[in-house]
Amino acid sequence: MHNNLDINVHHITRVEGHGNIVVNVKNGKIEKLQWQVPEAPRFFEAMVRGHSYQDIQTIVSRICGICSITHSLAATKAVESALGINVSEQADKLRILMHYSEQLQSHTLHIGYLAAPDFFGTPSVVPLVARAADAVKTIVKAHRIANTWSDLIAGRTTHPVTLIPGGLTRIPTEKQLRELQQTLKDAVPDLKKIAEVVLSVAANVPKFERPTEYVSLKQTTPPTYTFYHGGVTSNDNKGAAVPIEKWHDVANEYMVEQSTAKWAKWHRDAYAVGALARFNNNAELLSPMAKNAAKTFGLQKGCCNPFMNTVAQLVECFHVVETSIEIIDQLLTKGLKTEKVTSSPKAGKGAGCVEAPRGILFHEYEFDKNGKCAAADICIPTNQNHANIQKDFEKLLPEILDQSEKDIRLKLEMLVRSYDPCISCSTHFLNVQFVR
Amino acid sequence: MDQTPRKDTVVIGLGNLLMSDEGIGVHLIRKFSEHQDKFPSVEFIDAGTGGMNVLHLIANRKKAVIIDCVKMGKKPGTIKRFEPADVQTTKKMMHFSLHEADILRIIELSGQLGECPDKIVIFGIEPESLDLGQKLSKTLSDGIDAYSLDICKELC
Repeated sequence: MHNNLDINVHHITRVEGHGNIVVNVKNGKIEKLQWQVPEAPRFFEAMVRGHSYQDIQTIVSRICGICSITHSLAATKAVESALGINVSEQADKLRILMHYSEQLQSHTLHIGYLAAPDFFGTPSVVPLVARAADAVKTIVKAHRIANTWSDLIAGRTTHPVTLIPGGLTRIPTEKQLRELQQTLKDAVPDLKKIAEVVLSVAANVPKFERPTEYVSLKQTTPPTYTFYHGGVTSNDNKGAAVPIEKWHDVANEYMVEQSTAKWAKWHRDAYAVGALARFNNNAELLSPMAKNAAKTFGLQKGCCNPFMNTVAQLVECFHVVETSIEIIDQLLTKGLKTEKVTSSPKAGKGAGCVEAPRGILFHEYEFDKNGKCAAADICIPTNQNHANIQKDFEKLLPEILDQSEKDIRLKLEMLVRSYDPCISCSTHFLNVQFVR
Repeated sequence: MDQTPRKDTVVIGLGNLLMSDEGIGVHLIRKFSEHQDKFPSVEFIDAGTGGMNVLHLIANRKKAVIIDCVKMGKKPGTIKRFEPADVQTTKKMMHFSLHEADILRIIELSGQLGECPDKIVIFGIEPESLDLGQKLSKTLSDGIDAYSLDICKELC
């Protein structure tokens, strides 16, 4: 037990954006324990005001380099809701395929490049190549497949260009879809290999539990492990799903002094979103291989160990690949058709919601009679997790206070990283000093 | 899936189009793409803020040219050509973050994986404004033609 302890992690590494961890213990008493997000808030909503309903998805795709497809899909759905635009079954399936490619992109990134170094005890993925070259190469291969998959359906790896209100501007050929399907079938052994590697270090996943409210999408017609359709549910909501239009009643965003990012709460004083939330609300609907993967890791519905979020992401990798193979079968059986997409401006307000890799994402827009955006509201998953990270800290720290300062610091950092946070989905520029 | 042969040289523009000068790399790629026919063996890619994807975009090419908004402590609008060995990032060398995609660490990983291009050149352009907005500052906007000429020399 530390009588006195000062930890100040300024800008935690291997998360996207800047977050700080502050711990002050004096005479055995925790005086300060905070998860701080000091970044200046970026009001992306202001960027879309005055723009046509046809351009919103393109602009918001630039908010984030990892969740760009997800932002575009949420925006497109919100626009379609506001203007009463229908989408064909074919376009709907292709969009889900597009969305799954981003889930695989992001999850392999987090598992392989950000979380794996914690489990292997290396500071980053670069030295990990020397220790586990095959594992890193397999991750890179899976990530590369996901990128090529996005290229095919979204028109680009990031910042998609094929989405428009009402459908898609371009669809793949049946030959391309068959090739994609074969690639995904061939990727299954690689996913199994990644699972074996993660399993080999699974003992390093900290044992920690805190009963938590988990919030995610839930789709009942037909019952689906959903990333795209349905309403909002939580384990505190007795299985009921709230319509997307009422998302403000779920997020209940509020400001706190320690963070420039908004926090969120629903039934409790905090909630969690992300792969573990989706798993906890929908696990029985996973694909067979995904269920097997969960079983291998002992991941069961009701798990409230946030460190297991990374395992839930791995389980979802199996799900999106296996389900996509089926979706492609369905598309090919019906045959792809060229669809003309038309829409016209009108006044309206609508919300769109999809699951980003790191949790549920809400977009809401209002348009005037000319289809110009009059108001916008975006609620990102990482902001919804901040309060929960703080609550996890408050339970975790007293449980590990007898460990070394280095281990305490590492566990708090690992906890934050397990949420796969994306604090500043916006800026990446280099600061450099010339050395010669 | 995609069997199209890769071009030997790739020019990658990085940046966020929503943050004024931060998007200079993407603005330049858009300009070059309008003249793609003059560069048959060069692929121009707007990589936006998908930083980690640079690992795949440069893999097994002969040459990669990266255009980015870089804080170098120079006068706003300054363009500087450098190679990875010329600089160190002010971030700690051992760490790796995605959105901030430390390009130098990605290049290091590419080398470790044995797929790094023989030649990598980075064109850094010092920003004047990183405010929210989809337009470049006047300083960088006025410099676009000069930047293009500098980069063009690298491709001929």
